[in-house]
Amino acid sequence: MLTVLLQQGINGIVVGSLYVLVALGLTLIYGVLVQINFAHADIVTLGAFAAYFFTHAFGGSYLASIGIALVVGGALGWLINAAIFAPLRDRGSELLPLIATIGVSIMLQNAMLAWFGPIPYAFDTPYSEHVIRIGSTFFTVQSVLIIIVSTTTIGLLYAFMKFTFLGKALRAVSQDRETAGLMGINPNYLIMLTFVIASALAGMGGALLGPVLVMTPFAGTSVIVKAFAIVIIGGFGNVEGTIIAGLLVGLIESYTTQFLDPGLIDIVVFALLLLMLAVRPTGLIAEKREENV
Amino acid sequence: MSNPEIAEQPITSMANSILTSRRFWLILAAIVISLLPMIFTDSYWRTNLIVCAINVMLAIGLDFIIGYAGQLNLGQSAFYGIGAYVSTLLITKLGVPFWIAFGCGVLLSGIAGMLLSLFGVRLRGHYLAIASLGFAVITYQILLNWISLTQGPLGIYAIPPPPALRLAGLPIIEFSNLANLFYLTAGFALLIYVLLDQLVRSPIGETLTAIREDEVSAASLGINCQKWKVFAFAIGSSIAGAAGCFYASFVGTLVPDAFFITESFTILAMVIVGGMGTLIGPVFGAILLTVLPELLRGIGDLRLIVYGVAVTLVVLFMPGGMVQAARLTAARVRRVVRGAGTEATT
Repeated sequence: MLTVLLQQGINGIVVGSLYVLVALGLTLIYGVLVQINFAHADIVTLGAFAAYFFTHAFGGSYLASIGIALVVGGALGWLINAAIFAPLRDRGSELLPLIATIGVSIMLQNAMLAWFGPIPYAFDTPYSEHVIRIGSTFFTVQSVLIIIVSTTTIGLLYAFMKFTFLGKALRAVSQDRETAGLMGINPNYLIMLTFVIASALAGMGGALLGPVLVMTPFAGTSVIVKAFAIVIIGGFGNVEGTIIAGLLVGLIESYTTQFLDPGLIDIVVFALLLLMLAVRPTGLIAEKREENV
Repeated sequence: MSNPEIAEQPITSMANSILTSRRFWLILAAIVISLLPMIFTDSYWRTNLIVCAINVMLAIGLDFIIGYAGQLNLGQSAFYGIGAYVSTLLITKLGVPFWIAFGCGVLLSGIAGMLLSLFGVRLRGHYLAIASLGFAVITYQILLNWISLTQGPLGIYAIPPPPALRLAGLPIIEFSNLANLFYLTAGFALLIYVLLDQLVRSPIGETLTAIREDEVSAASLGINCQKWKVFAFAIGSSIAGAAGCFYASFVGTLVPDAFFITESFTILAMVIVGGMGTLIGPVFGAILLTVLPELLRGIGDLRLIVYGVAVTLVVLFMPGGMVQAARLTAARVRRVVRGAGTEATT
């Protein structure tokens, strides 16, 4: 019994850390812009496909493909900011950019459907087959890789936000964009930077999720709805809360699969989301920002 | 030269009063609806006509929630599904007559919308959008996983069409006939449109618009904002429920995938492309986005990309949708005509 608990706990943390990567992007953008990028899901999917084609069609190494997915994601984030969010920023509507990115999402998904077809791709990495055994628990080298890459990335991001000048400027912009502008910080540049970082994380998350997911053009949607749940449970715009909530959702997912039924995962996660909104809409870690609640 | 304006004025004012009269447009719409199945006689286009009517209901229902009450509801697919499944299960499992099952479907999806709204009434903007999206995900998963009731992904088959209408002195109207089924659904869509139009023009509509524009000011005038937002949500979701009942009895089979969250986005696209915050806009948005992909069927998979491109471009360049485009064109034509007129007189 304990073995099962431990084994599922590890699985949950592996998946959860990938959700954290995706959800952190949403939270970063929300922190700076108070906007939601719905096409974040498709950046995840495109990251997964970029890594897949790099490794399977061009014979590149899997580790390098993670870097490729990161670049693809970052480039897409830059494009979405330049094409959608920047022109709509002055309209002052909180819902128009969300609706526009729903349009972008429909467009990207169906473009991918036209290119890649509806049949799921089998993404094999050289690390999926090697199994490490410690005591009575097993894990693949792939999950060790996922844990290492995601913790390193999250750690680097955290250090960047806390200790570098750009990171401080970014936090300044998310606290008060106008005042930050008066202090000589260029908010447009920083918003662009946030989009690139957030989307690079999503692309990288895609490359790591690819071998785990059922890889179809719509794969990102199932990830992103969980990422939405995570950012709300953790508190929108709150990095620490997002990390905790992401791991929590990963654990819920693996324990629900083990003890209940895999079909119930989304129901349990979203029931928790609705409960959270009812009881504590500011998220696990309270934010000062309350204008949306 | 006599002044042409004096001679023309009575005619133009009469034309204007006809054009702005609701009764004129209502009669015109009824005539168009009754002519359509005669123009499109093959079953392929008649099927599309029925889909159009169902989508019109979904779009105006959603527009009432988003465009008039200002609440971004991404859960319309759930209410659509609840209406479809509740009515179908009552008919196939309990043998309840169609119209009673229809009433139950509408009522239950309305109640579901009311409950979600009561819950989400404290939330605004993005939070409500995600809460309603979460509700849609939960509903979809329940439809998919409650196999003993809904048969999950296998679906429910052989759902009968609405029962034949037997009115004294008239021939029996069978709804297995596509033209008659179109009259039924389009007639319902028109009825819902007229009722919503009345509602929007009444003081209730003004109250809702006031809440949408500025909730704090509205509340300071003594408006109970929460009550009216819940009201709008319940109305909009029960309309989606009605559309779901018609959908089930028209298609004859029900699978949960028809009510996946992407369906919510499709309905949203119709509202946006048509023109959010007007009732006539979503009607044409729904028709355009139903017919256009069919016309583009030759291009294969690319057809659904149209939805995405249309929504993105409309939000970026024409946020008022087709209604705004039509108004701008009309204003331009008027300016050109007036310009030509003044040139002629001078």
